[in-house]
Amino acid sequence: MKNIDSFNHVRGESRYLDDIPLIQGTLFGVALGASVAHGIIKKLDLSEALALEGIVRIFTDKDITGENQIGGIVPDEPLLADHHVHFSGMPIAFVVAETEEIAREALKKIKVEIEALPVITDPREAQAKGELIVPPRTFRIGDTDAAWQDCAYVFEGKADTNGQEHLYIETQGAYAVPLENGVIKVYSSTQGPTAVQRAVCKVLGVPMHQIEVDVTRLGGGFGGKEDQANTWAALCALATHVLKKPVKYSLHRMEDMAMTGKRHPYSTDFKIGLSRELKILAYEATFFQNAGAAADLSPAVLERTLFHSVNTYFIPNVRVTGNSCRTNLPPNTAFRGFGGPQGMFVIEAAIVKAAESIGVEAAQIQRINLNKTGDEFHYGQIAQSESQACWEKALEIYGFDQMKEAVGAFNKANLLHKKGLALMPVCFGISFTNTMMNHARSLVHVYSDGSVNVSTGAVEMGQGVNTKILQVAAQVFSLNADKIRINSTNTFRIANTSPSAASATADLNGKATLIACTEILKRLKKVASDELKIDAKEIELKNELVLAGGAETGLDWKRLVALAFMKRVALSEHGHYATPEIHFDKTKEKGHPFAYHVYGTAITEVTIDCLRGTYEVDAVKVVHDFGTSMNPVIDKGQIEGGIVQGIGWMTLEELIYDKEGKLKSNALSTYKVPDIYAVPKKIEIDFLQTEQDNLAIFRSKAVGEPPLMYGIGAYFALRNAVKAFNPAAELPFDAPMTAEKVLLGLYAGKY
Amino acid sequence: MAKYSLSINGKKFSIEAEPDTPLLWVIRDYVGLKGTKFGCGMALCGACTVHLDGEPIRSCSTPVSTLKAANRITTIEGISANTDHAIQKAWIEAQVPQCGYCQSGQIMSAVALLKSNPNPNDEDIDAAMSGNICRCGTYPRIRKAIHRAADLIKESGNTTGK
Repeated sequence: MKNIDSFNHVRGESRYLDDIPLIQGTLFGVALGASVAHGIIKKLDLSEALALEGIVRIFTDKDITGENQIGGIVPDEPLLADHHVHFSGMPIAFVVAETEEIAREALKKIKVEIEALPVITDPREAQAKGELIVPPRTFRIGDTDAAWQDCAYVFEGKADTNGQEHLYIETQGAYAVPLENGVIKVYSSTQGPTAVQRAVCKVLGVPMHQIEVDVTRLGGGFGGKEDQANTWAALCALATHVLKKPVKYSLHRMEDMAMTGKRHPYSTDFKIGLSRELKILAYEATFFQNAGAAADLSPAVLERTLFHSVNTYFIPNVRVTGNSCRTNLPPNTAFRGFGGPQGMFVIEAAIVKAAESIGVEAAQIQRINLNKTGDEFHYGQIAQSESQACWEKALEIYGFDQMKEAVGAFNKANLLHKKGLALMPVCFGISFTNTMMNHARSLVHVYSDGSVNVSTGAVEMGQGVNTKILQVAAQVFSLNADKIRINSTNTFRIANTSPSAASATADLNGKATLIACTEILKRLKKVASDELKIDAKEIELKNELVLAGGAETGLDWKRLVALAFMKRVALSEHGHYATPEIHFDKTKEKGHPFAYHVYGTAITEVTIDCLRGTYEVDAVKVVHDFGTSMNPVIDKGQIEGGIVQGIGWMTLEELIYDKEGKLKSNALSTYKVPDIYAVPKKIEIDFLQTEQDNLAIFRSKAVGEPPLMYGIGAYFALRNAVKAFNPAAELPFDAPMTAEKVLLGLYAGKY
Repeated sequence: MAKYSLSINGKKFSIEAEPDTPLLWVIRDYVGLKGTKFGCGMALCGACTVHLDGEPIRSCSTPVSTLKAANRITTIEGISANTDHAIQKAWIEAQVPQCGYCQSGQIMSAVALLKSNPNPNDEDIDAAMSGNICRCGTYPRIRKAIHRAADLIKESGNTTGK
């Protein structure tokens, strides 16, 4: 089935936050961000700004009617700075004016004096100074201390990955509208409507039933709007609460880039031990996560780093420790993969280090250590593995041996261009690692004319979740898609939602929809049974007809619904789903945190220009474990997009903060994201069709995040290409592999 | 403030605005056509692409004062009445959009490309489309859809794309 939004998308008619028609009297807000990363506010002079015509009010921390606090996991993040500034771009004041132009003019007239304090940007420095967000956590299995002596090879090293700007093309924003009795409706570009509702309520000091959050769709989220949409919503709602007027704020691009957190940069020490036969016997890693100035989602992101720190390998002795380090960068946050990619990069680096030191191919080590069904992960869950199936199928169908030969021949024949190949297997756990978040609700109404309306907690942000939810309702009722509508995500219709994140949105909300629709179907069948005087077990709804024992009955969907309505049967249902079987004990760091895992293997081939250091990705060829895809076109799109975004993180996208904590890569002119040139010349995706019983909706496995990690293959393919030109090059494991770093590697030690 | 006469999607508009007001805001806020999007405000992402006399331009960086009444401005809402431009059809067929936000701009660039080059190869497509950023990474399908639209135009014999 085609994406239900595609028609409106190609007409420019899909509505995003900034497209909502404005109510007369709407005011416009703009936040003033701190110009230094750490300091004490000595003076805040608003007088000149307030004197401008059209200025309505300037809010500071003193105007907050509730708590000046938006921290989700840890209450450590003021909405507006109170004396102390912790990162460059931290909101200090919120200017509200009759027009956006006036508000922006006023920003320039606010005088702030900040006494600068020492700035920390490096997570290792923060850790050394005891600046941790939460106490360190360690996951372990076996006994690494005892295992080293059994290893024929032991290697140690360091691996770093940089952050990543989300760069959703629709910037952050919110529009708060006063309703009667103090109720405020907040339109927000958020992945987490309930998170916005909670933050607004805390800041305003009002109960949750007073704040309605509504989301139609996002122009991209990628994790950046999971927690960080709260700030703008809370600022607008605060102004609306005080002024009783609609207030809107859509961020400019440079504001968005400067004021919001990104994917976490990590610096990591690793130690890997292997047997003579190349079995990985022991692995240790110590992660230093650059959390930024507040917790935001960092502890949860770090947790997933620990879960995915061995990627898809079975290792009997593991000890991995994570430090979430407080620095003076904007609070870093969720980004597709949520810490998983950072964990996987390190184990892949460790394997490459071992392979290069021993003199074998990394693929040899990767292959013999892939996990299999029955293996225990270091956090206690037993694998139901498709790891080897994906790997072997990829080698076979894409002719990996021939690819390798061709690359070897090319490299022999060409001096100025070199090719590199790398394999990247992936294993990604599906579920929020915080077990209590794995639940969702769906509200299904069947109207008396037979049309159907579905509301869930899922937020559509391009992943196609609304289409999948519509498919669920269509399948259960056996209805045409045109009979069903998916509503906006709204906290007055669906309460206590988990954010659309963790790749689990379609599973959780789809299952809740399945439950609700199935319940209504049961009632409808009972009505048909009574009417036709046929056992309900014989009744079946098919293509909008009511069948009994496979034969037509003269009843159809519309008439059956009308009949049920006349008989006063409930045609609405609120379905609730909570993922079964999952649990995790944080005191032991053991359990069964994931409903299931998604597997896959990618082969990446690149070509570098040995004079310029520039490169192209020739091909990414994937075998991906889809389970049984309920929408192959949407799912393939997620894989293609994930690969492009992952390659961006690993190659082009270079986030730069200076020593003072100021973002230097602060616009699209200084921060390069993949454009059409950067895309692999060829992307091939093969479905590993599995029938394994799993907890995915219709056994269609989650697909949002796992493919991002195929992009890691591009880093190692580039590394191999550099090595083909300069075998002696000592290349640090330091992503992204920009053209500059390729060039430095090509001539490292040569001049 | 000054008065400007503009022709947008074949309709005449008379608006009053500051001379440096970007065309994007004229289209969105004065005329009320919301299909053209703000992405960066610096002509770096392509989300605001519209046509000026058939040529793709970045409306976020085009001051209204640089436009003349005789200029024909076309936005996403103006490329077809019934979603039957070959690019739109191919876009739906290939299921290009994910979040959709950049797609108006992508489509405007693609329509302009096919007008000037009815038979583009991959290199032509990359060159024409490289100023339009899609963070969802729909580029492989954009390439595919442009090829498909070129075929649709050839099949129909209607070079306007409609």
